Amino acid sequence: MSKLIIELTINDKKRKVETTASTRLLDLIRDDLHLTGTKEGCGKGECGACTVIMNGELIASCLVLAPQADGAVITTIEGVGNGENLDPVQEAFIETGAVQCGFCTPGMILAAKKLLEENSHPTEGEIKRGISGNLCRCTGYQKIFDAINLAANRLLKRDGGKGEKDV
Amino acid sequence: MHQRTVPCHYFAPQKTEEALEILSRYGEEIKIIAGGTDLLVQYYDRLYEVGSWLDLKNIKELKEIKIHQNQMEIGAMVTHTQLEKSEDIKKYFPILSQAAADIGSPQIRNRGTIGGNIVNASPAGDLLAPLMAYDAQFKLQSNQREMIVPAEEFFVGPKKTILKPDQLLTRIILPLPSERTYGSWIKIGKRKALIIATITLALVVEMAEDNKTIKDVRTCLGSVAPTPIEIKEIRKKMAGKNFSQLDFNQLGQIVEDKISPIDDIRGTREYRKDVAKNIMINALEEIGSARRSYK
Repeated sequence: MSKLIIELTINDKKRKVETTASTRLLDLIRDDLHLTGTKEGCGKGECGACTVIMNGELIASCLVLAPQADGAVITTIEGVGNGENLDPVQEAFIETGAVQCGFCTPGMILAAKKLLEENSHPTEGEIKRGISGNLCRCTGYQKIFDAINLAANRLLKRDGGKGEKDV
Repeated sequence: MHQRTVPCHYFAPQKTEEALEILSRYGEEIKIIAGGTDLLVQYYDRLYEVGSWLDLKNIKELKEIKIHQNQMEIGAMVTHTQLEKSEDIKKYFPILSQAAADIGSPQIRNRGTIGGNIVNASPAGDLLAPLMAYDAQFKLQSNQREMIVPAEEFFVGPKKTILKPDQLLTRIILPLPSERTYGSWIKIGKRKALIIATITLALVVEMAEDNKTIKDVRTCLGSVAPTPIEIKEIRKKMAGKNFSQLDFNQLGQIVEDKISPIDDIRGTREYRKDVAKNIMINALEEIGSARRSYK
């Protein structure tokens, strides 16, 4: 397998990585960059555990070849908040108990962040659609919806938003 | 994992011409990759089998949606998210936009492309019935020649098309419909997200100037035959008639009688036949009420 070198910006850091054309972005993130917050569930784009944000879009990293991400800007869960300062979405997940086994959580949080970026005041239907690519097999969906509502409220307040939403 | 000894190539040209040149050199030895949402599922545990990749991601002209005289040209690399959000698509081809919005999940819609959905040629491909219903044509290019084929001639069986190894699907061409064109899109599946359709229906009805007489009709279905199909008998039954004279039940029965679905994990033949009739009736009712509210 011939090697190739790709460059990408991951969590605001520029990285040069040697890889192959048949390596998935998911494996590059986990095995080469050691960012193991990104999980592999189904490997077929159906569960969302491997979700990352690439060039501003929510994607399944198991369905992207590493060289397809050459030049891309990527955010993984490690790029959202840090141990000390959490993102409002992360705080809301903790407070509402939206984390059970935790395997879906990195993908869920990225999907929720992306949703709230595009739609600061989502309806229940819009929340469901926004995280429809992410499965939680503990089936803690209600608490995940609650967390997203709570985060939406806090972000609206923080950003001087007008209306407050009932949680 | 099995290690290949032959070198694996990865190409990501900037221009269509370069892509065609690479294709002519490698032919069947190379896999064309667009969004990868079907391809990488098919090659899930055997990516190492692919000798070389031709990635279309850098070809900007394939990502454009353009209106040109009386037709729209959609580049093969336009994603489902683009189709869903494009104001022009919503205006002229609303059920294509609706079908794109029903595909997979945000993650899939952001990567998956219209061209990929077409060349993958799944009988359940969500965009295929709407494309046929809007009279789509596909532009196929090789570095020797280019040709434009109607959608219904492109699909020849489940996952089988007339595309040759040196050809690339570059554009989807759709004639702009008249103002009095109405559409209805219905997808039936066991859940809303990430589902392969049990049955899909795309019904497009064009009314004459008087907005009473039916000028033309396209009734296209997915997941009911080896390829997406049009039920041509419906056109014969409806054209020239007044919308209020239609017998919806009889038209639904024609759809039920003309399809040849199979039993599979998503539904039985009998179920699909029943549902086909019912969704045809629903689609006619939807178009009927949209037409009445037209000012």
